[in-house]
Amino acid sequence: MKPKEVPTLQPRLRVLNREQVLAIHAAALEILEKVGFKMEHAGALEMLTDAGCRVVEGDRLTLPAHLVEAALGSAPKQIVLYDQRGNEAMSLEDGNCFYGTGSDATFTLDLETGQRRRVVLQDVANFARLVDGLKNIAFAMSMGNPENVPVEDIYVHVFAEMVENTNKPIVFIADRGRDISEIYQIACQVVGGEEELRNRPFLLSYSEAISPLRFPENIMEKLIFCAQKGIPICLPSGSNAGGGAPVTLAGALALGIAENMVGLVVHQLAGRGSPFLFGPNVSTLDMKSTVVSYGCPEWSLTQAALADMRDELYGLPIWAYAGASDAKIMDAQAGVESMFSIITSMLSRCNVIHDVGFLEYGNTSSLEMVVMADELIAMSRFFTEGIQVNQETLALEAIARVAGGGPGSIFLMDDHTFEHFMQAQFLPLLLDRSRYDSWKEAGATNLYQRCNSEARRILAEHRVEPKPDEIIKGINRILKGG
Amino acid sequence: MSDLKPLIEAVIKGDIKLAAEEARRALDSGNSAQDILDKGLIAAMDEVGVRFSKGLLFVPQMLRSAKTMQECMKLLESLFQEGDITTKGKVVIGTVKGDLHDIGKNLVSMMMEGAGFSMTDLGVDVSPERFVQKVQEIEPDIVAMSALLSTTMPSMRMTTEALKQAGVRGKVKIMIGGAPVTDKYAKEIGADCYAPDAGSAVTKAKELLGVS
Repeated sequence: MKPKEVPTLQPRLRVLNREQVLAIHAAALEILEKVGFKMEHAGALEMLTDAGCRVVEGDRLTLPAHLVEAALGSAPKQIVLYDQRGNEAMSLEDGNCFYGTGSDATFTLDLETGQRRRVVLQDVANFARLVDGLKNIAFAMSMGNPENVPVEDIYVHVFAEMVENTNKPIVFIADRGRDISEIYQIACQVVGGEEELRNRPFLLSYSEAISPLRFPENIMEKLIFCAQKGIPICLPSGSNAGGGAPVTLAGALALGIAENMVGLVVHQLAGRGSPFLFGPNVSTLDMKSTVVSYGCPEWSLTQAALADMRDELYGLPIWAYAGASDAKIMDAQAGVESMFSIITSMLSRCNVIHDVGFLEYGNTSSLEMVVMADELIAMSRFFTEGIQVNQETLALEAIARVAGGGPGSIFLMDDHTFEHFMQAQFLPLLLDRSRYDSWKEAGATNLYQRCNSEARRILAEHRVEPKPDEIIKGINRILKGG
Repeated sequence: MSDLKPLIEAVIKGDIKLAAEEARRALDSGNSAQDILDKGLIAAMDEVGVRFSKGLLFVPQMLRSAKTMQECMKLLESLFQEGDITTKGKVVIGTVKGDLHDIGKNLVSMMMEGAGFSMTDLGVDVSPERFVQKVQEIEPDIVAMSALLSTTMPSMRMTTEALKQAGVRGKVKIMIGGAPVTDKYAKEIGADCYAPDAGSAVTKAKELLGVS
């Protein structure tokens, strides 16, 4: 009997059962109905009270569960991000995972000296170009707040810099209504108008409410702006266990989800059907250093839980993180922590996964870390694809040929190997498997050094498809306040 | 006069009930309130600080000790005349204008209080004018400012300028901190020091005032 094609199991992580999902969801609703939240944007407060929220006192509101249900019902279950040339790039649905860099780092590791120094605007350009040249990095974020740009315009400048240096989708930060509208104008320049941008958005706004349960005016300004313009947005509050949220992960998740639901409700009231990416950032506050950890197992666990809640209940694509570390240099700790979050975020099918390339709990960005992550993502994808089982892969004929062949028959010589090895094996580019002597001869490099060389090579050789002069001129006019 | 060791141990352990009992016992057996504060409570917090910096204690344990100390202080407070308590120094602290984040600032405030500073916490989104007004009102030794966002850091410069304008800059030391803040930035805006975390905020504040 001939073996037939059988379905491939693609390994998938689950960390919550249905009872846990429902209990966390119920707790989130209870927080909103009983504890309430502080809404500091007058317009949003009015929308919420008109919709049925109750004023406890001043700007403190409680929110009934039915508003959450309605918002979950009207938010799209699928979000598609396009690249800057209008091609579909990130279809956020089902099990699709997309990795990208992070934002707002104060420092970066200098490519030449290896030293940690303040970020400048050129670094933002370099990171964007690197992202553009890496196969497994799907979207760009700024990777730093440059010190050589006026701070009140920082997010507009880094956005323009990214637009000039990559054509991939961009996840951007803004401070408030003023700068987000300038960023929006730049984005419209890139694609040729508001309607084009609405139909084929290449950008996603990242914004944070303040845990516990505080919604500042400027954050709501941005949320409402995005809802009205149809710009996809995520609003993950920093409900870090022990910091903005209770130290126990279930409570931190419930609080973060509650906060996200407030954001979602306001968002859907302001722009019904506009795209909203679900999910809080639930890491931990380190109990010695009080930093928010970027290498801890807890964050990987809570976002896996969030993916389960998406699958069981919410249905909205989720926001996540991976490929970052608390280490100060790109050492073994950086490798371990990066891989831990990359593989688990993929196994739990998180959708938009940011912060790739961060060291020092998000305070320092590293081009080398991004290059390493590109390879780790490829490795994880290989693993997550599973094992295809069919006539070709079972290779009974090849086995018969080699085992039944004459002396000197080896699989390496067989056509089956030649035809299949590129797909059948994971072929690393940076992880070294060379024999000792050749490794030594080639300079006895470690992974950091190889990633450094590769980053330099990409920055030197990779050509980013340039934008037409007209677009660049238009952007410069906006930057100059024209 | 009784031995203050059991009180010190109770504060280090963060056993509020036991510490309060020990504080009362110390008072009953003739210790002065100032001695209980200096040689009992603050000595205990100094030891907590040492253990924390050696990695033997975690932040929640340290904060519990600070809370224990505060509870004991409630027993002592009525025994001091107003303004009679000698502290390491008076500090006005706040998160600067435009910034609503308070976890880091609260932590610094708790730690400094535990170390024997008298803290006046102005909360979050504190305008330069409000800092100036409070400085004029209570004449602190230190103004401590916090910012989490790059975009709100300029408020630190504005506050420093406002203190100069009001003619009180020379009377206070300024310390700043928060995720995007650097030593270089502190120098740029003319602050007296930058503290990277709550533990070092205590050390730096002591250095600024020349107290131990």
